[in-house]
Amino acid sequence: MFSNFDFGVVFGSLPYLFGQGMVFTVTLTALAAGMGVILGTLLAMARLSGVPGLKHVAKVYVELMRSLPLVLVIFWFYFLVPYIGAYLTGASRPIQVGAFSSALITFTLFEAAYFSEIMRAGIQSIPKGQTGAAYALGMTYAQTMITVVLPQAFRNMLPLLLTQTIVLFQDTSLVYVLSLTDFLGAASKVAQRDGRLVEMYLFAAVVYFAVCFSASFLVRRLQRRVAIIR
Amino acid sequence: MNYNWNWGIFFEQSPEGTGTYADMLLSGLVWTIATALCSWIIAFFLGSLIGVMRTLPSKGANAVGTAYVELFRNIPLLVQMFLWYFVLPEVLPQAWGNALKQLPNAPFYTGVVCLGFFTASRVAEQVRAGIQSLPRGQRLAGTAMGFTVYQTYRYVLLPNAYRIILPPMTSEFLNNLKNTSVALTIGLLELTARARSMQEFSFQVFEAFTAATILYVLINLVVILLASLLERSVAVPGQR
Amino acid sequence: MTSTPMPASTAKTPVAPGSVAPMDAGLQSGPLSSPPPKLATGAPMIAIDNVSKWYGDFQVLTNCTTQVAKGEVVVVCGPSGSGKSTLIKCVNALEPIQKGQITVNDTKVVDKATDLPKLRSRVGMVFQHFELFPHLSITENLTVAQRKVLKRPAEEAKKKGLDLLARVGLSAHANKYPGQLSGGQQQRVAIARALAMNPVVMLFDEPTSALDPEMVGEVLDVMVELAKEGMTMMVVTHEMGFARKVADRVIFMDRGEIVEDARKDDFFGQPRSERAQQFLSKILQH
Repeated sequence: MFSNFDFGVVFGSLPYLFGQGMVFTVTLTALAAGMGVILGTLLAMARLSGVPGLKHVAKVYVELMRSLPLVLVIFWFYFLVPYIGAYLTGASRPIQVGAFSSALITFTLFEAAYFSEIMRAGIQSIPKGQTGAAYALGMTYAQTMITVVLPQAFRNMLPLLLTQTIVLFQDTSLVYVLSLTDFLGAASKVAQRDGRLVEMYLFAAVVYFAVCFSASFLVRRLQRRVAIIR
Repeated sequence: MNYNWNWGIFFEQSPEGTGTYADMLLSGLVWTIATALCSWIIAFFLGSLIGVMRTLPSKGANAVGTAYVELFRNIPLLVQMFLWYFVLPEVLPQAWGNALKQLPNAPFYTGVVCLGFFTASRVAEQVRAGIQSLPRGQRLAGTAMGFTVYQTYRYVLLPNAYRIILPPMTSEFLNNLKNTSVALTIGLLELTARARSMQEFSFQVFEAFTAATILYVLINLVVILLASLLERSVAVPGQR
Repeated sequence: MTSTPMPASTAKTPVAPGSVAPMDAGLQSGPLSSPPPKLATGAPMIAIDNVSKWYGDFQVLTNCTTQVAKGEVVVVCGPSGSGKSTLIKCVNALEPIQKGQITVNDTKVVDKATDLPKLRSRVGMVFQHFELFPHLSITENLTVAQRKVLKRPAEEAKKKGLDLLARVGLSAHANKYPGQLSGGQQQRVAIARALAMNPVVMLFDEPTSALDPEMVGEVLDVMVELAKEGMTMMVVTHEMGFARKVADRVIFMDRGEIVEDARKDDFFGQPRSERAQQFLSKILQH
């Protein structure tokens, strides 16, 4: 079946695929996950705060992001970020934003909505007695959150946060619509250049599968350990 | 900031000559909904089958179900889209491959099948979780009354499991709906693709995306409303 | 958080206005079961022959052998973890066995050629947690297996189901759902559901142990009535009062073995094994 296929093209392009493509994908995933979790936690705290305006803004933001396709959000920010940049810097024209920065901003803001739902569940899973005890010791809200609630919430939710990060890793492939050179983008460029779509896309699928399957296997093991300790 | 807003753009003729820009977006909306519904039918039935297989005592059925879920969950949807669209016709026997390539509306059919198989893996996980959340005695009671395995699932386990998983299934339905936009990469002219082409033709980028955003939010609200009506109509008196 | 204490019976369903039927009439007179067909041979209804069972390396049943004759009521008791629930589940092959043979009504349970659904349809089973199907109304619970397994016409199945529901005194609840009934009422429906299949034998797996104490009596009443009608019954229970009243024989199990298998009077009079004596003294203290 594969007699016509030339898998040599894959080997020839390995340095490009991994040296550029995969580095882009992993960097984007790691940075967006880190910043997304921080922003998501802030959003979760805002939603759980009793402050009327803040609570609602956070809720609308999260619900809006979650009801839109990622592809549309990528397009939105691709065009919007230059204008926001101009507004922030006081420039009169839309400023140039690098493709990587644009993608990073998009994924951070988008995934923050999903991370915030996980962190919200995590914060709510901490018994009221814990905050009560912290306040009784004289801690402020910030101290209670930082030293008591968030560490526990984060620990309990770690498997879910990591699973969401695996989803993010897969989602970054959608920067294809901006013609960026992530792992899939690199594979796609080689595929188009050499007319080897079958080989390159199959190889990309195998690599994504290997990475995600191993990662989710590790997450499941972690989950079992967390479950036992708890 | 020097962006020229022009909300009247929706009533101007699009360069495609098939009506206004508003018509263009609405036709995108129709394709989005059609793709979402057709792929959901595949996802629901295939996903239920796979999910049930993962709860059967048979080791073989279990292994097949697990393999399916892992395979379709660990490859990005976009890559799966390319596999169905670019790779499948090449690895099939030539006559079949050619037939596929000449299929009219190929992006639509490919998108439907790809999303159906992809979402099936997620539906399968929900169905499995739903069945496993039922008390073990329910399966035993069905079996003890002389139900076959099929009858036990059909009359006892599945009707209960589906009720339990209705809320997460609503989320999966919405995910599937949003994922239809990934099919724009293989040329499906769904809502996001239409907003993008409106932006390219008219340069009114924010009007186009705002309209698409509002339409997506509206479909979400309608689906959530329908789901809560469905939930109420299948609720069992005395439960929870 | 603090509110006025609720009366204990708020879980009960409200009485429909204008309803004349008593909500819970209790056990009614008349036959519950149809007479079982004559056996072709003089063989026992249930024969358990040298049965052993393992979960992995752990042996849960060891060389269990006993018989239940037609019309006999056998109570199986023993401490928790003794294997008594497992043994009764082996009778209709809800649990597989690795060694030995069980014969029910002349049909071998461990036999590839046996049509298990057909065998099970003639063996009624009542579970600890009732296991009514929560999404089906009481009437549907009573008829679904009659229609789908025995292929009875809907009308006939409904008549049979409602007759039995009337006999356990719950006609007023025919259109309700299991979640709207008390535990005792659910268990009576579960017995009626099993009887609707015209079983030749009834298995009870701790039918009263998930019930609040005040509901135990109404369920035992139905079981006593059934025993008096001559139904063959195998009952896993701690209700020694029930055993004294209607059992013909008592089987005492411990650690997967049948330790004592005696006529009722012998068992309560002078149990031979020390383990049975200890068990009896513990549960008869209160």
